[in-house]
Amino acid sequence: MLWGAVLTEALVIRGLNKTFAKPAVSDLDLTVRAGELYALLGPNGAGKTTTLRMVAGLTQPDAGEIAIFGVDARKDPSAAKALLAWAPDEAMIYDKLTPLEYLEFVAGLWNIDPRAAKAKAEELLTTLGLASEARRRCEGFSRGMKQKVALAGALIHDPKLLILDEPLTGLDAAAARLVKDMLQARVDAGGTVILTTHILEVAERMADRIGIIAGGRLLAEGTLEELRSRAGEASGRTLEDVFLQLTAEAQA
Amino acid sequence: MSLPFKPASTPWLLAHEMRLAWRGVSAGRKSSGVGSIIAFAILGAFALAGGVFLAIATKGHEVPITPFAVIIVDMVLAVILTLMLSTTLAAAANALYERGDLDLLFSSPLSPRKVLFVRALGLAVGAGFWFVLPATLLLTPAILMGHPHWAGVFGVLVAAALAASGFGLLLAMALFALIGPRRTRTVAQVMAALIGAAFFLASQYRNLMGEKASESLFTRIALDVKDGRIQPPPFADLPLRAAVGQPIPLLILMAIGLGLFLFAARVLGRRFADAAAATQGAETRKAAKGPVRDFAAGAFRATLRKELRLISRDAALLSQVLLRVLYMVPLALVMARSAAHMPVWALAGPAAAVTFLAGQVAGSLVWITVSAEDTPDLLAISPTPIGVLNRAKLAAALIPVAGLLVAPIAVLAWYAPLAGLWTALGSGLTAWTAGLIGVWRQKPGKRADFKRRRGGSFLSALAELFIATLIGGATALAVAGLLVWAVIPLIIAGALMMALRRSDEQIAAALRAASATSN
Repeated sequence: MLWGAVLTEALVIRGLNKTFAKPAVSDLDLTVRAGELYALLGPNGAGKTTTLRMVAGLTQPDAGEIAIFGVDARKDPSAAKALLAWAPDEAMIYDKLTPLEYLEFVAGLWNIDPRAAKAKAEELLTTLGLASEARRRCEGFSRGMKQKVALAGALIHDPKLLILDEPLTGLDAAAARLVKDMLQARVDAGGTVILTTHILEVAERMADRIGIIAGGRLLAEGTLEELRSRAGEASGRTLEDVFLQLTAEAQA
Repeated sequence: MSLPFKPASTPWLLAHEMRLAWRGVSAGRKSSGVGSIIAFAILGAFALAGGVFLAIATKGHEVPITPFAVIIVDMVLAVILTLMLSTTLAAAANALYERGDLDLLFSSPLSPRKVLFVRALGLAVGAGFWFVLPATLLLTPAILMGHPHWAGVFGVLVAAALAASGFGLLLAMALFALIGPRRTRTVAQVMAALIGAAFFLASQYRNLMGEKASESLFTRIALDVKDGRIQPPPFADLPLRAAVGQPIPLLILMAIGLGLFLFAARVLGRRFADAAAATQGAETRKAAKGPVRDFAAGAFRATLRKELRLISRDAALLSQVLLRVLYMVPLALVMARSAAHMPVWALAGPAAAVTFLAGQVAGSLVWITVSAEDTPDLLAISPTPIGVLNRAKLAAALIPVAGLLVAPIAVLAWYAPLAGLWTALGSGLTAWTAGLIGVWRQKPGKRADFKRRRGGSFLSALAELFIATLIGGATALAVAGLLVWAVIPLIIAGALMMALRRSDEQIAAALRAASATSN
């Protein structure tokens, strides 16, 4: 039933495998519902980024199936890519372009109507506090500013599924709050967001559901309360306690 | 591997610099670099064979200290110095901007004076290496077979490298003071290209000035000196005397080189550190003014526009292209003169040269647009087919080439329309084939690695050169009126292109494999 009843499922992963020198992802099953903010947590080297790179079509899986809003991402990658955006922790931008020029290019890649794209670009840059920098080359920008430009690029084509790998890296407190608010607003408006983060407090406060991954396998998945009960933790314990317990059990 | 010197000593720091420089040269190559090793070994063997021949031919003979010999050595040294200065100026300007490296060194307990002295010494070693290495192969047999005093050549080369690095540092600092941190790197790179081409332009000045002479400036000077029409200036014999091992001239040259180097490295050292610190944030430009341009429609146009913007904003790339344009200017003038005064077959050589250069420029630009993509992941996650992106990138690379070719071909077409047509077709074909090879055989690289763009693809580079030569030859034959013969090299070039061809799927698979390796 992988490809049935898919409209309520933004992302379905079944039996995903990837091995480099050693297995990075092993028989991973994962489902992200449409309209939710899903946080994928795990220690360093757990397979989070590899999983998301396979979803984004950047890494070929050895085996398994990936469906994005019912579209088979392995059989019809272009249609799947049209639905999603990917923003890694290292901003994918060009130092020699201005934010506006960058957004023009990204909009072109997703074949967005130029007029609509221009208006959307100006709106995004204003929202992200970059309006005054819109026509200055990115080479002099701070890491946080570059992250914001990359985020604008991810949003310019209004993706149904937004995948963010450590989106708050390098952002100051105000910018981090701004990004969190934008993501929340996106989810409230029906969008779907998957993010990885090492800041467990962010996942605890923002995520509808949380997946914990280690050694390329999904250890646990659910709401915070479900994870607590799965770990046998009393209500009121933090996500950090749950996370550490589950990953310690996996490593034991 | 740890360095075999006392930590924090000058030799230890220099060895560190040399290690980084070597890894910079070898970066991007396959782990073994077998192709490069074989190529170097063959070149080395040729140089050594030449050295043995030289040793046998000069056995029992001494170099005469005549005005003719003096002027020849002076001119060779001038060429070497300009090439060394070109290298050291660009390297000195870049050193100012290598923030992470300098920050680490300056924040360590090492004295800034020592850090800068070693960095300057690194410039000299880097500039001298490529001349000392072939000189060693060429001269060692002669030195061992009766001319031990010719070892003085190494002293001259070391003095030249020291002087060039000192002068390069001084020039970089002067630019920094005159035009500020933001423009220094760009201007220094363009200046380095101009200095690198200076000896060529000087040699072609008679062509540039429109004098009807077939020999270069250097040949003219040498002949005038030989015939006694002009005398070398005072002390012009110092380099020759030093090269043949006379101690006083050698000491004088070494003292000049070392003095210039020490002055730049020691006296300007502190200012260099301050200048390096001032480059932080220097990349910030004023925001553009005026109305915002409409966005490009569709992936092809957006990619084309983006690539043209990036090409026009890449100082290192522009300096390299400028260098090739400088080589085209005398060529165009030679063509104009030949077209006006000589039979049409005399244009065959220049037409072939223009055709060949068009391929070289196109190959460089395609490498920048295709292989040196800054954000390959962004393109890979987009729904745009790779074929569309590659076509846009190829178009972006060929547009500037077309711009460069307009002048020489227009001049040619004015005097000899048919020759102009064949040259235009040949140049367009060479540029297009070089571009296609760049697209088909792309390997991810970094813009900063532009100068050694073929580091990981030796066979592609060879094929590109060979095909450009074939098409250049076909163009020459067509211009000379031998149309039927021109078909033969074109058929060979076509067959080679068919062998090199890759489909979009094959390109995508190769890129995925490269991406998997890098991850």
